Amino acid sequence: MTDASMHDAAPQNRPASLLTADARTRRRKAAETRFRLMGVAAISVGLLALVFLLTSVLGNGFGAFRQTVVEIPITLDEAVLDKSGTRDLEVMKKVTTIGYGKVIQKALEAELANRGIDTSAVKAKDVMGLMSKEAAADLRNMVLADPSLLGQTITFNAFATSRVDGFFKGRVTMESAKLDSNISPEQLQIAQAMHDAGIIETKWNWGFLTMSDSSELRPETAGLGVAILGSAYMMIIVLVLSLPIGVATSIYLEEMAPKNKWTDLIEVNIANLAAVPSIVYGILALALFINFMGLPQSAPIVGGLVLTLMTLPTIIIATRAALKAVPPSIRDAALGVGASKMQSIFHHVLPLAMPGILTGTILGLARALGESAPLLLIGMVAFVKDFPAAPPQGLMQPATALPVQVYQWTQRSDPAFVERASGAIIVLLVFLLLMNAVAIVLRRRFERRW
Amino acid sequence: MNDMRIADRKVSTETAKMTARGVQVYYGENHALKDVDVDILSGTVTAFIGPSGCGKSTFLRCLNRMNDTVASARVLGEIKLDGENIYDKRVDPVTLRARVGMVFQKPNPFPKSIYENVAYGPRIHGLTRNKAELDEVVEMSLKRAALWNEVKDRLDAPGTGLSGGQQQRLCIARAVATSPEVLLMDEPCSALDPIATAQVEELIDELRSQFSVVIVTHSMQQAARVSQRTAFFHLGHLVEYGETGQIFTNPKDPRTESYITGRIG
Repeated sequence: MTDASMHDAAPQNRPASLLTADARTRRRKAAETRFRLMGVAAISVGLLALVFLLTSVLGNGFGAFRQTVVEIPITLDEAVLDKSGTRDLEVMKKVTTIGYGKVIQKALEAELANRGIDTSAVKAKDVMGLMSKEAAADLRNMVLADPSLLGQTITFNAFATSRVDGFFKGRVTMESAKLDSNISPEQLQIAQAMHDAGIIETKWNWGFLTMSDSSELRPETAGLGVAILGSAYMMIIVLVLSLPIGVATSIYLEEMAPKNKWTDLIEVNIANLAAVPSIVYGILALALFINFMGLPQSAPIVGGLVLTLMTLPTIIIATRAALKAVPPSIRDAALGVGASKMQSIFHHVLPLAMPGILTGTILGLARALGESAPLLLIGMVAFVKDFPAAPPQGLMQPATALPVQVYQWTQRSDPAFVERASGAIIVLLVFLLLMNAVAIVLRRRFERRW
Repeated sequence: MNDMRIADRKVSTETAKMTARGVQVYYGENHALKDVDVDILSGTVTAFIGPSGCGKSTFLRCLNRMNDTVASARVLGEIKLDGENIYDKRVDPVTLRARVGMVFQKPNPFPKSIYENVAYGPRIHGLTRNKAELDEVVEMSLKRAALWNEVKDRLDAPGTGLSGGQQQRLCIARAVATSPEVLLMDEPCSALDPIATAQVEELIDELRSQFSVVIVTHSMQQAARVSQRTAFFHLGHLVEYGETGQIFTNPKDPRTESYITGRIG
């Protein structure tokens, strides 16, 4: 009828042949190609940045897992270390680290003389300066823990001072040592001679993962132990609190709550909470948990609670999305055979939503693990030397966290701490990768077809 | 009535199993169903026909209160099952749905094993005392749904792995397993091919001996084939309700005649 006229002639702009592209087609094709190229360029830039980050972090950080160690035989002289000869710990404790330092110095000098290494170029104190200041305390702890060592000759491993360590890792050179008040080129020459003699070597250092933080003066003994433990405690708290609360909240809001302006308001607010800067949560935690409720500062319980608050919106949003994605036909099927609302949710909807919920939870946890800003405000940035006890008491004792430890170490002046900060970042990245891997595995595991 | 053996149940085709009087349904402001009176008889297949949006599915979902899940839906009037008003405040829809089962348009087996699909209803209603009894119920339900021979060797296989027709029969077995008294079917064959449709229709006829069956269908041939009574809905009104043969051969209302002869709908 009316559309018959359309067939009268070919439409305008139709090219004569399929083999030749007209201007319009060429323009469209060019636009597509441009977009494609921009995409490739953007990804390349991103990959380059990633490579740069990884080389920088890995290049700087791997050194933290290796540490230079001095290994010398020491005769633990009874006459010096336990004058009374009673092996009474109270009496033995009266010998301070200064006393042990002298024993080590004597042993070191003897060993150097024995190996024919000339130390005449430096003062006796500077020879001792090749070793970590921690060495005397280590030896003292060793003896107090096992007094039967007294009188024996033991092989004692002590960390070299961070400058010597840096020399063998290439961070410190003869030139830089000339300008350095902490080390001299002469000392480094002795260190080199000791290395050649096999007294000094650079070894794998588990201590980086197990030891606690140390002061500015002895970076060689700084480790992540307290930070890893603190982060682990907080993650346990976050998981235990945020998963059940978050999932229950989502189920209520998504499946049970009436849909009205109040639930709309709550929904909007939850979405907004996910975008609130984390430092704001820190202020909230400071005011609520510490000032009002009187919980201890620097404690994993407070850190865990604030990170729970931060993670909850993420988990709720992910869980609600996962619940929404479950086809309504499954709910109908369950209700149709006479299941109650709760039964239909817990028997059918929740299992189907599980992959999404777990992925959301683990991503939320990963974000919480890497979060440092709120922890600064609740005092977890403190210098913590003592390990927190096992839970539950440990949750109330001071600890630090991995990202805060990174922040702390980057603030210190000694370049040895740059290496350790990078090392800590590697540890953090490994944990994050592991958590993401777990998320993928769980997702695969729970994924079902319907 | 607590006896699981459905076959022993006596049904009379003369009594009204469910009676609806003056049923009105509103979705928010929309008056979807206007003043519907229907008697669902025992041992009978009742077909609801009518053009899309006429309210036949809405009415079906009123019969086991599935409309409760729609927040904006409001149901007025009275629907009785064996003389008890199902919209009474004291009625728990859960026990109602165990007695008035439902099969949906699209096969929707649970993403679980075939066995679990069928066993779910009896299990949540506590209809069996032990595993042996449950096994028996599952076997009987699958036989009743004419699926047993096809799946008896793979009861642990996922229900979602079956073909479309098998899935729909599995859903029927699942609905039958709670031994309902009325079985509601919402266009059960619309997603099936002709062969599966024929199987399900045959099944519906057999199910009639134990249940009242109510089926919503778009296909008038199907209504004519399987039902004894037919209700024609149009624009939210129940236009005509009577013997299937009479509706199709001698409709009283001109609208019914227009619809079955293909002039409206």
